[in-house]
Amino acid sequence: MTAISQKRPKQKMDAKTRRRKIGHVLGRIIFYLVCACLAYQLLYPVLYMSSMAIRDPGDINDPSIVWIPKHFTLDNFSDALKSMSYWKAFGVSMTLSIVCGFFDVFSCAIAGYGFARFKFPGKNILFLIVVFTIVVPSQTLILPLYSRWRYASFGGLAQLFTGKESINLIGTLWPMILPSMLAMGVRSGLYIFIYRQFFMGLPVALEDAAYIDGAGPYRTFFSIMLPNVKNAIITVFLFSFVWNWGEYYLSKQFLGSDNRSIMTALSMLRMDLSQVSALAGVQLGTNPEKIVTRMQAGCLLTAAPMLLVFIFTQRFLADSIEHIGIK
Amino acid sequence: MKLGSKIGYETKRKWYGFTFILPWLIGCILFFLTPMYQSFRYAFQSLEATPTGFAATEVGFENFSSLFFKDTNFLPDLVGSLGDLIQVPLILVYSLFFAILIKGKFPGRTFMRAVAFMPVIIGSGVLMQILKEDVFASGARGGSADTYLFSAGNIPALLTSMGMGTGVVNFVNQVISRVFDLTWRSGVQIMLFLAGLHGIPDYLYEASGLEGAGSFAQFWKVTLPMLTPMILLNTIYSVIDMMNDYGNTIIRSINNTMFSLFKFGYASAMSVVYFLVIIIILGLVALLLRRFIIYQD
Repeated sequence: MTAISQKRPKQKMDAKTRRRKIGHVLGRIIFYLVCACLAYQLLYPVLYMSSMAIRDPGDINDPSIVWIPKHFTLDNFSDALKSMSYWKAFGVSMTLSIVCGFFDVFSCAIAGYGFARFKFPGKNILFLIVVFTIVVPSQTLILPLYSRWRYASFGGLAQLFTGKESINLIGTLWPMILPSMLAMGVRSGLYIFIYRQFFMGLPVALEDAAYIDGAGPYRTFFSIMLPNVKNAIITVFLFSFVWNWGEYYLSKQFLGSDNRSIMTALSMLRMDLSQVSALAGVQLGTNPEKIVTRMQAGCLLTAAPMLLVFIFTQRFLADSIEHIGIK
Repeated sequence: MKLGSKIGYETKRKWYGFTFILPWLIGCILFFLTPMYQSFRYAFQSLEATPTGFAATEVGFENFSSLFFKDTNFLPDLVGSLGDLIQVPLILVYSLFFAILIKGKFPGRTFMRAVAFMPVIIGSGVLMQILKEDVFASGARGGSADTYLFSAGNIPALLTSMGMGTGVVNFVNQVISRVFDLTWRSGVQIMLFLAGLHGIPDYLYEASGLEGAGSFAQFWKVTLPMLTPMILLNTIYSVIDMMNDYGNTIIRSINNTMFSLFKFGYASAMSVVYFLVIIIILGLVALLLRRFIIYQD
């Protein structure tokens, strides 16, 4: 390289490097411009939510205000908190997200390991069923599931303990928690898939070493394999947490009106806001501006816990993405 | 121990494997397979809610026949839902582009990645719906300038005056008005593509670079072929995601039939037909794309 370039006239080479430098800088500028556009476009709804939630309803139709309102107010938040019964719904959803997330992490890891490392008859068909559980819309299953929880008998167990033929679990949190204990919670099929990919990526020698040292498959799994897939555990917990938080359809039917989940509360906020009489202490009238700002405050309040969890876990997520691969 | 030594190692492994998936299998039978069977049964029944459960009368194929021959909404809704699938290729292109953009190392990468994954985190059905209604449909801001990014604005008029056919114009119009939808549906796909990109071994790029391939040729000859398994996975995921979405027309009308009209048997028939349609589409997608897929090793 150096030998060739020394033969060339000095002037020409300078021009060439300069051209290349300019091209490089231009490329960077275009790159960051594209990044900025994409980021703006994805952050837009969050910015909009935040901007609307802190502005006075009177500021909505002011065309001179783009993002920063002239009159700040926190009334939107306090009204949204009240009419969503936010803290109660927050408690319900937080309990569900943490408990289901915890159970999903373990139950799906066990199933994923079984699919990744063992051979047994019918394995492929069973794994196809795992995929099917993600494909089937919950609408197909909601009625049978509802009657299952409404008249839960557990094969006679309920009669044994309560003396009644069946017990009613609708309105409790069990219809969401029990399935996730058995690796059938919200989108559990996906977590089983993620775990399977991770376990398949670990070297077999790891287990062989443990077997030689006399550990059985269960001990090997819990003390060798699980600690080696920390990123998968964090990823699955994050997914399970946010998707249980965002789950709407099943929780609306199963939890009843006493245990409204946060998404049910948010979906009914518009109606609740327009029905003034139904609310304690919130006087809105049917002012559409007030409803819009309060709706956005409600959205922000609903999204905030997820954003917080995401900020703390996103570096694990990015790391685990680099290692999932497809095999 | 005695028993253990009598049966062979392989058989023992089989049973161990089986015990690992046993919890899932029980869950699957209780919360998936039996409800699935039940739902198929309901589709052939007329159901009424009574204090002790559903009272069912067998009606044979009546639900299905009225679904196809009497219901004036179902088939058009179904076609409309299928028409939404036109977005799938756009989602794939967009998410591949985004994934390639944030693959390399550059200052601000962490931020861009966090932004890219954000739709996965807060893109839940209800929130999306409210945002779509409020942010992008509302005229509450007096047509202020900052909604221009998402409204089609004058582009259709421009295209028409350029002499494009109405079909093209409508298509472009539809695409632009759904940019929000499109980008907010692409979170998981970007993640999967990124995972796929990191799975491509470096030596392929080195070798092709030595052979004289530029980055353009490398994209078509190395990146794209190596990503084909991910493309299949993403296509399937996008189809499922779209068909099961909270805002989907058919899903909404099933909900409506079930919980507002209380026609449980009829709603079950609808969902069974819909489910079968999804399975057929996924099967077709898999069959079509199968030939193009290149597996590593």
